[in-house]
Amino acid sequence: MTAVSTPGAVLRLNDVAKIYPGSPPVHALDGIDLAIGEGELAAVVGPSGSGKSTLLHVMGALDRPTHGTVEIDGIDVATLSDRALSGLRSQKIGFIFQDFFLIDGLTATANVAEGLLYRGLPRRARNERARHALERVGLGHRLTHRPNQLSGGERQRVAIARAIVGNPAIVFADEPTGNLDSATSDEIATLFADLNSDGATIVVITHDRELAARFPRLVELRDGRITGDTSLHPV
Amino acid sequence: MKSRLRLSDLVGLGFRGLAARPTRAVLTAIGIAIGIAAIVAVIGISASGRADLIATLDRLGTNLLRVSPGSGVFGTGSEVPEEAARMAARIGPVQSVSQTTRVEATVRRNDLISELETGGLAVLASRIDLLDQLSVDVVVGRFLDEATSEVPTVVLGAVASERLGIADLEPRPRVYLDGHWFTVIGILEETELHPDLERAVLIGYPVAENLFDTSESPTALYVRAAPEFLNDVAEVIPATVNPQQPDAVEVTRPSDALLARQAADEALTQLLVGLGAVALLVAGVAIANVMVMSVLERRTEIGVRRALGATKRHIRLQFLVESTLLAGIGGLLGIALGGGITVAFAANRGLTLSVPPEGIALSIAAALAIGALAGLYPAWRAARIPPAEAVRK
Repeated sequence: MTAVSTPGAVLRLNDVAKIYPGSPPVHALDGIDLAIGEGELAAVVGPSGSGKSTLLHVMGALDRPTHGTVEIDGIDVATLSDRALSGLRSQKIGFIFQDFFLIDGLTATANVAEGLLYRGLPRRARNERARHALERVGLGHRLTHRPNQLSGGERQRVAIARAIVGNPAIVFADEPTGNLDSATSDEIATLFADLNSDGATIVVITHDRELAARFPRLVELRDGRITGDTSLHPV
Repeated sequence: MKSRLRLSDLVGLGFRGLAARPTRAVLTAIGIAIGIAAIVAVIGISASGRADLIATLDRLGTNLLRVSPGSGVFGTGSEVPEEAARMAARIGPVQSVSQTTRVEATVRRNDLISELETGGLAVLASRIDLLDQLSVDVVVGRFLDEATSEVPTVVLGAVASERLGIADLEPRPRVYLDGHWFTVIGILEETELHPDLERAVLIGYPVAENLFDTSESPTALYVRAAPEFLNDVAEVIPATVNPQQPDAVEVTRPSDALLARQAADEALTQLLVGLGAVALLVAGVAIANVMVMSVLERRTEIGVRRALGATKRHIRLQFLVESTLLAGIGGLLGIALGGGITVAFAANRGLTLSVPPEGIALSIAAALAIGALAGLYPAWRAARIPPAEAVRK
């Protein structure tokens, strides 16, 4: 297990710590070294309270570490302004949330197209790419449905389509199956594997060891520290 | 590597945000609509009223002076030279002069009515050019001319015709002036600037002199002068028309009454516009309130948008545009409402419709400005939400 840079790393964390002030201060993350290579499909697994969400936010440039460095696609996050950080998220990062976080009033296509909204693409181009992304996740027949007309699994597929529609360098999924039954969870895991085999780099964060075990790489997190990192096929 | 949001998408986001909670949007917009409607209606109604007032002023002219040479504390007995009108006409800037003289007679419907029941009507001897001088017209018949001035014919003022019960000239009505029957040949239109003429019957000077011994010493002189010298004329006229008692001469400008009304209208308009502005202010506070609520409810949406790459500025603009649109829609509603009220009012009162476009532009601008101002604080709060916290479960 080593954090020493893999040359093709999309994401690299060096000695990252996140400390929330208070008395006593909470060390949510401590001494994290982690590198995710291009084309990897990895799971970060840990019990609740292990710092998974904090790690996701730090990895996804939604939050900054208290110290240590985070590099995304070769860019050191610490040097970026909030505005540039937003730019980075719009171009390089896709997010998938446990509660899907779709916009109720919009069709599946419009929801997915929202993933390109902050790239300044014209509407027509956004919708075109959104349709392709929906077809890619197996929802070509649900283009004009609204979230409340879709099942939980379908909603999560829409959210996944939104995350991949812009071909980001890396996709983070936060408990993507937390609200789904086991059959649907299986389908979602399979979808991740499919997307990965097409070249997407995906990091899934979950407390579900069974789900995590289906991915080629398993990073274990406990009390803010990495306690294990095993690869089926070492990169 | 930059986030970009197209302007059209920004506006789309604003509309979508409102459409997501339509009832709330409508209720909030109504506040603005009422304020704007009040302002537009007040401006529209007063402008329509003023348009008529100005038309009246234009028609009547503001360069007419009415001179009563003999009234005042001791004025009743004073001798005014018969040539007063000619003297006045010699003042340089004076363009024309006409006059009336009080006739010592009463007017009655017929000889069976008591001499005491005059109905408050006066008999005036009038020059034949009086109507041209005053820009007054007859509604029926015609005015006195050289021929009819010689014979017992009479023209009735508007109020006089009503009190005598004579509304038209068929069948040849006559009135009774102290022992003499006079044939009515015309009725004057209403002329609010000359109440003394409305309440009088007019006969010619020759017949007045023959039958009632009326002199040409004027009771009222009507003097038109070049507008730029009107004040100078007003100053020299007393000594000209009544050299013995210049202090007794009263010079008035009938159009002043209209100007005073215009000033009063304007003051009232300003007050009402002020009230409308207060309504707008209250509506602005309501918008700010609703937007703050909306920001709290939409934390997750804000978090997701930040995760998708929205900058703080994009979030701020989204909420600003939303509140500005909200107020703008309210403003349009208000203009429609206020315009409708103005049209209905003008039609009802027979006023000339006049809705000043700058008033409309101004009220839309006011609505948009209020919306933008009301959105500032909520937008700032929305942008300040840390994205990581907003997407936390």
